[in-house]
Amino acid sequence: MGGLVQWPPVKLPSCKVEVSHFMNSCYRTLIALVGFLIVLTAAARADIGQIKNVSGEVFLLRQNVQLPAKPGDLVQQSDVLITGANGAVGVTFIDSSRLSAGPNSRVELKQFRFDPTTHDGEFVTHVQRGTLAVVSGQIAKRSPDAMKVKTPTTILGVRGTTFAVKVEE
Amino acid sequence: MKSKSLRPARRWIVRQLRNVLWVSAACAFFAGCATVKPASKVNTYVVLLPEESGARAALIVGDGANALTLDRPFNAASVDSAGKPERKSPTAAETDKIFAAALAAQPPKPISFTLYFETNSTQITPGSRPQLEALMADAARRQAVEVQVTGHTDRVGSDADNDRLSLQRAESVRSMLVQTGIKATFIRAVGRGERESLVPTADEQPEARNRRVEVILR
Repeated sequence: MGGLVQWPPVKLPSCKVEVSHFMNSCYRTLIALVGFLIVLTAAARADIGQIKNVSGEVFLLRQNVQLPAKPGDLVQQSDVLITGANGAVGVTFIDSSRLSAGPNSRVELKQFRFDPTTHDGEFVTHVQRGTLAVVSGQIAKRSPDAMKVKTPTTILGVRGTTFAVKVEE
Repeated sequence: MKSKSLRPARRWIVRQLRNVLWVSAACAFFAGCATVKPASKVNTYVVLLPEESGARAALIVGDGANALTLDRPFNAASVDSAGKPERKSPTAAETDKIFAAALAAQPPKPISFTLYFETNSTQITPGSRPQLEALMADAARRQAVEVQVTGHTDRVGSDADNDRLSLQRAESVRSMLVQTGIKATFIRAVGRGERESLVPTADEQPEARNRRVEVILR
């Protein structure tokens, strides 16, 4: 950050001393803020898994932007997987958990945290509609209450399990 | 004059009020139908499936006093808007029908291969050739495969030499995978030297099972 003290690098000729001093502190605050935001978003945007297979219409909704999903796409916490009437998608996570959704599904990857060394973590998925098949991985193996699947009517606690859930409307 | 002019006006107001009442009653009725009906139909249906590994597992449905435990394959439960789980006993065929598309999209299980090496060499032992073939075939079958290659040595030699040798072993496997044309989204080779012996030994003791490369396909 030492180099930023010199900001702006070009002295503005029309500025009085007080004004340029004010601008200087403004710039520094702004740069510190931007840097802080970048650190924040970088921390929040870690890749937690990868889409392995896609069939039919599948979308990945991230921060209000919905894009078509394809095999190889990386997923992050808070992403929402959306499938169309003939869509299906499979995702493998960094703790080796596997999720796959059938047609007309909407699944939010609400919370994900995993320490690859200790295997401590947390994995909360929200099935808003549709079908989801789950094979739990290291997170659920390490701690019985760390993996949960929420639906509009209930919550499922996962004790190292292969299961499937359907939300009917 | 006043009462004469007011009477029709009052009648008009009463008529309007009656209309408003009818319309709002109708609105309330239809709105009630529109909101209450689908809400009562929202339902969660969950079924425990057989474990690939055959291990015992369980699923806790709901929490608190309402919680229900599923701990046998094809144990199932249904939970409506009231939040109270109810046991179900579907047949395997019924389950398969509901979840066929989701189950068909399940990605393959991550798999690990171990390849053994000749002493102080990046040459794979003849005994590990079939494993190498199996690894190549499996990697080729997977879509969007991530590959993690980790090299190891036994405890003969210095730490620095073993770090270098373990990385060379990993790199040789990595380049073999790349040469076969595997389209990996991620392929990384690292060397762990003599830090992670499969079989613990004294220092400077040769051990064939520690001269190895572990490959994880995800």
